[in-house]
Amino acid sequence: MLGNRHLALDTLRQQITALETRPVLQGEESVPARAGFLVAPRGAVHEVFADELREGGAALGFALAQARSMLEPLRPAILYLQLQGDAQEAGVPYGLGLGSFGLDPQQVVFIRAQTIVELLWAIEEAVACRPVGAVVADIVHLHKALDFTASRRLSLRAAASGSSVFLVRYAREREASAAKFRWKIAPAQSRPPPFDATAPGPPRWRVTLEKGSLGGRRRAAPEGEDFLVDWTEHGFERVGADDRTRGAQRPAPLSGAPSAALGDRLSEAS
Amino acid sequence: MKLVALDQRASAEGLFAGQNLADAKALVPNLELREIDRPFIEQVFGDFADWHSNATPIVTVLTDHAAWGDLMLDITGVSHLFGGEAAMLETLSGRLEALGLTVRGAIAPTVGAAWALAHFSSPQVVGSDVSEVLAHLPVAALRLEESQVAGLEHLGLKQVGQLYSRDRRALKARFGTSLLLRLDQALGYVEERVRPRLPLAEHYVERRFAEPIGLLDDVLMTAHDLALRLSSDLETEGVGAQAFHLFLYRVDHKVMTLSVNAARATRDALHIGRLFAHRAERLVGEYDAGFGIDMIRLAASSISPVAAVQIGAFETEDGAASLDRLYDRMTSRLGPLAVVRSKPVNSHIPERAVKLEPMVARTPDDPQALLPLGAPRPLKLLPQPEPISVSLAEVPDGPPPNMVWRRVTYRFVRASGPERIAVEWWRSADRLQLGDEAQPSLDRTYTEGETARDYFVAEDDGGRRFWLFRQGLFGASEQPKWFLHGFFA
Repeated sequence: MLGNRHLALDTLRQQITALETRPVLQGEESVPARAGFLVAPRGAVHEVFADELREGGAALGFALAQARSMLEPLRPAILYLQLQGDAQEAGVPYGLGLGSFGLDPQQVVFIRAQTIVELLWAIEEAVACRPVGAVVADIVHLHKALDFTASRRLSLRAAASGSSVFLVRYAREREASAAKFRWKIAPAQSRPPPFDATAPGPPRWRVTLEKGSLGGRRRAAPEGEDFLVDWTEHGFERVGADDRTRGAQRPAPLSGAPSAALGDRLSEAS
Repeated sequence: MKLVALDQRASAEGLFAGQNLADAKALVPNLELREIDRPFIEQVFGDFADWHSNATPIVTVLTDHAAWGDLMLDITGVSHLFGGEAAMLETLSGRLEALGLTVRGAIAPTVGAAWALAHFSSPQVVGSDVSEVLAHLPVAALRLEESQVAGLEHLGLKQVGQLYSRDRRALKARFGTSLLLRLDQALGYVEERVRPRLPLAEHYVERRFAEPIGLLDDVLMTAHDLALRLSSDLETEGVGAQAFHLFLYRVDHKVMTLSVNAARATRDALHIGRLFAHRAERLVGEYDAGFGIDMIRLAASSISPVAAVQIGAFETEDGAASLDRLYDRMTSRLGPLAVVRSKPVNSHIPERAVKLEPMVARTPDDPQALLPLGAPRPLKLLPQPEPISVSLAEVPDGPPPNMVWRRVTYRFVRASGPERIAVEWWRSADRLQLGDEAQPSLDRTYTEGETARDYFVAEDDGGRRFWLFRQGLFGASEQPKWFLHGFFA
């Protein structure tokens, strides 16, 4: 009896949802399906470490690549946070570059905070908001306020709401933190594209999972292992041992797969 | 140096404004002097003017004669609250006199006439017979420049009434259009517009306190209560608002204003209250209730129709609405330019092709700006390109073999390019827009003789991918310069 009533209410709710317009949620089919190699579960805090600031492009790329897989029709937004003072030192995300990378620039909102306390507040607010798929915070320097307690707070919030937090950091030392995953990203020399041996190819990173583990029984990515991965239009692509030295045959892109090339995305959009 | 203002005792000694300082000191050796701080007085008078908005919403300071001193209130449709115009004049001047100030006030149908009466006549209320009343006042009552007044008096035109019958063309030729404009404004032939100091609101609610309050928490609680009343007002009209202003009237004649903006029109009292709470956190240091606050007004502007939405049992999880509320909260806590999105702009210049736009004031995209790009763009861009030193790049347009950036040398193993981006001659005057205004502008580094840039994607032996460009060409009179502009993933 009770179950029936719930069922009826659910049906009514769905009907009303269909009646009301939801402008942001249009184009749901363009969001990529969430599956594949190296994709982390949602609802956790990740620390993404690069050794130095000059490798920040790779670290941010990996965080955004993970964030893209967190997007869903009902979680359409990625929030990027940065301290205003770090803009010139570390660079700011570039809208057209996000397009080249394979993200819709409209889905990414930038937040520029003045102090680390404001930044942490903003992360917490953002994580608590259900339609936020992922929060990427670019934190250049070490800050006292970002300690174990702060990361624990964020972990609890993330677990409660199902949004993910990526803290992009630049350091060789590791501090105590309650983050569930810790990645270390280093850029690697890319494989040149097929017809131009002198040009750089798709981004290639050496990814080390320093803390946490992916996968259930199969333990697809155990702790401490490192991978060489390419970021392509299919998502992460593991680089095999033979591929590390010379270019290998790659499968043709699947039809309907989300393209990482900006030109394609924009022509689809217009 | 001259005297600007003096008190009653000093004028009783025979001193007057405009007198030379040396003369005044000779007359009164023990004169107490202060140097005038004009910006400070202007600011204090401005605060003082704002406080008068508890009588009428349109308050301004007339600055054409002096930067302070002339307070103008538009009392259209307000005087009945004070029991008539005469009573209002008495109340308003009375409360200023009670503070120990010397006040002269007048009520007239035009700004010019009221000014003339306040300065050159006794406090009075004038109805429609403006020209008769003004006729006997000196010409200086028309807010003229000193040279114009002197010229008129030289011609024997000492009273305003003498100007009525004069030939307008002759007056215009002799004294300029400003004389006729002032005359017409005073007589009401030409409308004179004033700009209110505080934003005008169509909808507002207010609460007065018998006893002044001081704590920020009390203020926020009141704001929430007022938001409930305002929201029911807005609901009966079927509208919502995007901007909300909280005016705090202090007993010591100052007004504090707190404004918040919402990304979409709203009338949700809880949300409005929360926005003010977040906005208040940003001013903890600045908040100063002085001797207390005796009136709080909450006003709504940027009104637009909002349809009624079913809430309660059938409330649905609407992602867009809760995202907008999140952006509102963040904007009110972090500042108006803190929450932005990248908006494409129809331009080839990389830093101009994207503009950061506040989320609370979104505008639709320009469809022409979404042209597909042929070449890759970096994930991160430096707001200002940084100069690098490059040795021995291939002539004429080869990529560089290495670079020194921030005192570290990088050796490139792969590179692609060049991608030539030429200057947009058709809008060379525009300022570049990326980041906020406070950041150094890009054109300071390399506007002089700006020519095309050749962009390269270069990968060093560690796999780091950079976006560099060369400004200028080899063989030109000026050596080309190299800059680092961005980082790829």
